[in-house]
Amino acid sequence: MALFIFAGDLLVMLFMTVLVVWVSMRSSKELLDFSANIPLIEEDEHG
Amino acid sequence: MKGNGMLGEAEYYHDKVVMRLVQFSMLWAVLAMAVGLWLAAEFVWPTLDFGQFWLSFGRIRPVHTNGIIFGFGVSALMGTAFYSVQRTSHVPLFMPKLAWFCCYAWQVVVLLGGLSLLAGWTSTKEYAELEWPFDIAITVVWVAFAIVFFGTIATRRIRPIYISNWFYGALIIVIAMLHIVNNLEVPVTIDKSYSLYAGAQDAIVEWWYGHNAVGFLLTGGFLGMLYYFLPKHAGQPIWSYRLSVVSFWAFTYSYIWAGPHHLHYSAIPEWVQSLAMVMSLVLLAPSWATMVNGIMTVSKAWPKLKSDPALKFIVLSLAFYGLATFEGPMLAIRSVNAVSHFTDWTIGHVHSGALGWNAMVTYGTFYYLVPRLVGRELYSTRLANIHFVLALAGTLLYILAMWAAGISQGLLWLSVNTLGELSFSFREVMSSMKPYYALRLFAGAIFWSGTLMMTYNLWRTIKGANVLKVLIPPVPARWRINKSVAQPVGVEAQA
Repeated sequence: MALFIFAGDLLVMLFMTVLVVWVSMRSSKELLDFSANIPLIEEDEHG
Repeated sequence: MKGNGMLGEAEYYHDKVVMRLVQFSMLWAVLAMAVGLWLAAEFVWPTLDFGQFWLSFGRIRPVHTNGIIFGFGVSALMGTAFYSVQRTSHVPLFMPKLAWFCCYAWQVVVLLGGLSLLAGWTSTKEYAELEWPFDIAITVVWVAFAIVFFGTIATRRIRPIYISNWFYGALIIVIAMLHIVNNLEVPVTIDKSYSLYAGAQDAIVEWWYGHNAVGFLLTGGFLGMLYYFLPKHAGQPIWSYRLSVVSFWAFTYSYIWAGPHHLHYSAIPEWVQSLAMVMSLVLLAPSWATMVNGIMTVSKAWPKLKSDPALKFIVLSLAFYGLATFEGPMLAIRSVNAVSHFTDWTIGHVHSGALGWNAMVTYGTFYYLVPRLVGRELYSTRLANIHFVLALAGTLLYILAMWAAGISQGLLWLSVNTLGELSFSFREVMSSMKPYYALRLFAGAIFWSGTLMMTYNLWRTIKGANVLKVLIPPVPARWRINKSVAQPVGVEAQA
């Protein structure tokens, strides 16, 4: 039982991580570039 | 000012509350580190408690840890969260009066909580020592913090939610969950309660809380600070935004399992210990991904490092972040833990994170932030550069002293003679530690003197100045949520 829970925990974590990587890979480059520049837009605007 | 064809009335960021939280944070840093120094001195001169209960190690140690984590750390996190969530959402704070409530109520909780610890009120749970009246007060303030933060996100004008807000959001949600579950207790009197959990379950819940408080407050919360202020300061976007998103989720999924590594070789189930060890090792991946992301971001701004003490602090904090997040998983390996547990190695590890990572990234952020809040240059760049050297020297000496002490303790305690008897008594081992403890006191004094210097430098920077009122800039139409509302651009000095 303990081994089942142990292995299950690891599998769930692996699945969630793969899911996030997959979702992240689907994001457009334009969205990622804009998001990465959010802190800098404000600075540029203020000069 | 309604230039550029923009619609809507002028709106400003709420930065006064940010400045007040920065001031409180520095106040707690000075006070709580001074208490830490006193503790370190008691290891060298044990009679320094003068026979007073309230000066005994057992009472002032939680005052030091609570003062640093909740006074210095949370005030800094609240302040920087309020500052960055407005700017990454392009809206003023949601319910600014509630933000002021958070600011002052939190200081009252930390102050009265510290006094209650000196008076001997304690739940005895590490990092959750405050008794039930304070647990309720903390919950109220934390909910207010959540309302302000998530309310600002919910009313944002910019569609994507920037990565720093994910980390700050995780800090708020996870700490709320940990605090409430770990502090479920039955009050008996005003100063005493009993936990709903008992025995091994109590230990598991406590270290699920304790380690994730380190994870989501001292790591995740400060990563939120790093992800906003590092790109801002370096003038470069984060090197890989995709990597930051993946490492956020990997960090969140794996950290929550790691707590029981504090309970190796104890009465808890072995599979729980093994799972905690494996998850602690998995944590190395997102932690180092973040460090690499940070170093690569700053790699395009190396020339700034020569002249900018604030950036030096932030880059150094990344190095210590890498060190502490490598050492943590190693200490979670059970065979290593057999040597390190119950020794000063753990104290060295904690301070490589607390001084090298948390304090340095906060110092770098404040050196950047405070002059901008008042629209002035830093009072003395030279003092800040001296502070950098003191902080680096103090941190290195501290962790070297504790590594040497801890590894010596672990090996000496495990040493047995041919009959299988302990080669050294506890007393013999501890009495050989005095040189290391003296070095730790010296290192702490160096670090604290740097913090004092910074407090003076920031005080002179803001003396007589008003916090600037910053107009909220417009959002490019492509990424705007509410296209009918946009704001003019500019900075005006406050009347």
